Amino acid sequence: MSDISSDTLAAGRGDQNGKVETSHHPKTDPKQDKKGYYGIPPIKHAHWTWQIPVYFWLGGITAGVALFTAVSKLVGKEDPAVTRLGRYFSVLSMMLSPVLLIWDLGRPERFLNMMRIWKLRSPMSNQSWSLVAYGNVSGILMLKQAAEDGFMGKGALPRLVARLVPDRVLQVLALPLALFIGSNTGTLLSATSVPIWARNWMLMGPTFLASGVSTGLSFISLVLNLLRTGRRDTHHTLQRAEKVMLLAETGLIVASLARMSRWGKPLYTGKVGALFIGGTLLGGIAAPLALLFSGNETRNKSMLTSVLVLLGGLAFRFALVLAGRKSADDPQAYFSFARGDNAPQPGDKI
Amino acid sequence: MATGFLTDTTVCIGCKACEVACKQWNQLPADGYELKGHSYDNTGHLSGTTWRHVAFIENPKKQRRLSGDVDLIALAGDVTETLPGNAELDGLGRWNFMSDVCKHCVEAPCQQACPTGAIIRNEFDNVYIQPDVCNGCGYCVPACPYGVITQVPNDGRAFKCTLCYDRQRDGLEPACAKACPTNSIMFGDVEDLKVIAAERVATLHSKGYDNAFVYGTPEIGGTGGIGGNHSKFILMDEPETYNLPAHPFMPQDKVKGAFVASSIAAAALAAVVALTFRD
Ligand code: SF4
Ligand code: SF4
Repeated sequence: MSDISSDTLAAGRGDQNGKVETSHHPKTDPKQDKKGYYGIPPIKHAHWTWQIPVYFWLGGITAGVALFTAVSKLVGKEDPAVTRLGRYFSVLSMMLSPVLLIWDLGRPERFLNMMRIWKLRSPMSNQSWSLVAYGNVSGILMLKQAAEDGFMGKGALPRLVARLVPDRVLQVLALPLALFIGSNTGTLLSATSVPIWARNWMLMGPTFLASGVSTGLSFISLVLNLLRTGRRDTHHTLQRAEKVMLLAETGLIVASLARMSRWGKPLYTGKVGALFIGGTLLGGIAAPLALLFSGNETRNKSMLTSVLVLLGGLAFRFALVLAGRKSADDPQAYFSFARGDNAPQPGDKI
Repeated sequence: MATGFLTDTTVCIGCKACEVACKQWNQLPADGYELKGHSYDNTGHLSGTTWRHVAFIENPKKQRRLSGDVDLIALAGDVTETLPGNAELDGLGRWNFMSDVCKHCVEAPCQQACPTGAIIRNEFDNVYIQPDVCNGCGYCVPACPYGVITQVPNDGRAFKCTLCYDRQRDGLEPACAKACPTNSIMFGDVEDLKVIAAERVATLHSKGYDNAFVYGTPEIGGTGGIGGNHSKFILMDEPETYNLPAHPFMPQDKVKGAFVASSIAAAALAAVVALTFRD
C-alpha cells in the first residue's frame, strides 16, 4: 500500500495516536518498529472478575487469623476471645471462599469436578483441595467452640464434643493448611504465562502471605475493638505483630518490584498504578505504619489502622490481578519476557 | 503414534479455507462482523471459537529481498527471465501468511494447569479438552504460552483445537488439512512431519532463503521449556512477526520452587509472630 493512503486514513484512528500501520513487517517497515502482529496480544489474559481478588483477600485474612490463634496457643498465651473469633471466622471464610470461586466459574454447577483429581503441579487444584481440608478442620473446631459456648444446648452431646475434639492438635495441624491457602493465592498467579506474575514466581507466595497475615492481624484487632473484648496484652501483642508484619510486607513488595523489573510497569502506570501506590503502598502500609509508630495506643487509632491495612490488602490484590491483565495484553512485555533468560527456564536456579 | 500438523507458511496463499473448514466441521459460532482495520485479516487471533487463524503479514518493501518472505513464482518454476513489461515482482509488496493453530505442546502448560483434569492427551497424543468435564474455571487461558484458549462467553467452558479428534477416530485427516489447497497444512505422524520439515527447510536454504526454519522442534529451534510442539511451522522470519514467542516457557516449572519459598516465608512469619508474644 502506498504511503499516501495511509496518511489520509490516519485522521480517523484514535487508538493509534494518529498513526496508521498499513503494513506489517517489523524489519522492513519503518512505521512498524515494534515486534508483533498489529499489537494483538500473543497471549490471553484471565477472565477473572472481582470475585477472585476478593477471595485472595479473604484467604489471606484466614491465614493471618489462623497464624495468630495457633501461635498464641503454642506459646501459652491464648486469649479465649481470639480463639473464639478465629474458629467462627475460619468457618465463615471457608463458606464464603467457595461461593466466590464457584460464582466465577463458567459452569458453576460443575464445581465438584475440581474434586475429580488432584494435581500437585496445578495451584488451582491444590487450592481447591486445601480449601476442602481446611474447611473441614475448621468445621470440627467450630463445633467444639459452639459446644463450649452453649450453642448446642445442654446435655451429653455438647459435653462429649467439647471433650473429644483435640483442639490443640487440630489447630496446629490446620495452621500449615491455612498458611498454604494464603500463599497459594500468589503462587496461583505466578504459574501462568503472564510476564509480571511469572517473573516474580519466587516472591508471589511469600508476598501474598505477608500481606495476608497483616490483614488477618488487623481483622482480629478490629473485631476485638468493635466488640470491646480481648485482654490488654492481646491488643498490645497484636499491635506489635502488625508493625513487624507491615515491615516484612514492605520488604517483600520492594523485593518483588525489583524482581519484576521492567515487567512490573503496569503497577506504576495508569489506574492500576494509582490503586497500587495510593491504595496499597501509601494507604495500606505507610499510613498504618505511621499510626502504629506514633504516640500511644488508643482504640480509635487502632481501629483506623486496622481498616487501612484491610483496605490496603484488598487494593493490593485488585492491583496485582489487574496489572496481570495489562501485562498479558502487552505484546512487547511478553515477547521480551519470552526471549533470552528472562522467563523461568527448566534448569535455572532462581 | 503421535499425530500433528506441519504448517508450511511459505506456500500459504491466505485463502482462509482452513479457517472456514474448521468452523464448519466443528460447528463453531461466528465471531461477529468486526472489522479490525489493519489488513485483510479480520479474525485477528485464535480463540475458543476460532481454532484456525490465518495471519496476514504484509511486507511493503519495494526492493527485492531474499529474506522474510518467499518468491512463490520463482520457487515454483525457478523463474529467472524478466517478467512481461519489466514488471517488478515485489513492486507492490508481498504477503506472508501463516495459518495458526493450537501447538499441541509435547508438555502442555494448559493441561498442567487444568484443575479438573478436563484437558487430557488422547490416544493420538493430542491435547484435548473434554467438554463434558471442563467447568470453565479459566485457569488454562493465561497458562497457554500461545494464547490459544479462551473461555467462550455464552457457553462458559474453554475450547480450542481438538486436532479433529472425531475425524481422526474415523480415519480422516483434520478438516483444515483436508481443505488446504496448497498443502500448506500437512497432517500426519509427528516423526514423518519432522523429516518433511527438515527436507523442506533444506530446499529453501538451497534456494537462498536462509531464514527458513522449523518452529516447534527443540533441536532446530522454537521452544524452550515445553518440549516442543506437535503442531510445527516453517517460518521465514522472527517468531514474533507471526505473534509467536521466541522461547515459550513452562509456567508450572516453578510451582515446586514457589512452594518451597512460601514454606520458608511461612515459617519465618510464624516465628516473627511468636516473638511478638514475648514481654
Ligand atoms: S498451545 Fe496452548 S492450548 Fe495448545 S497444547 Fe499448548 S498450552 Fe495447550
Ligand atoms: S477452563 Fe476447563 S479446561 Fe480450562 S483449566 Fe478450567 S476446567 Fe480445565
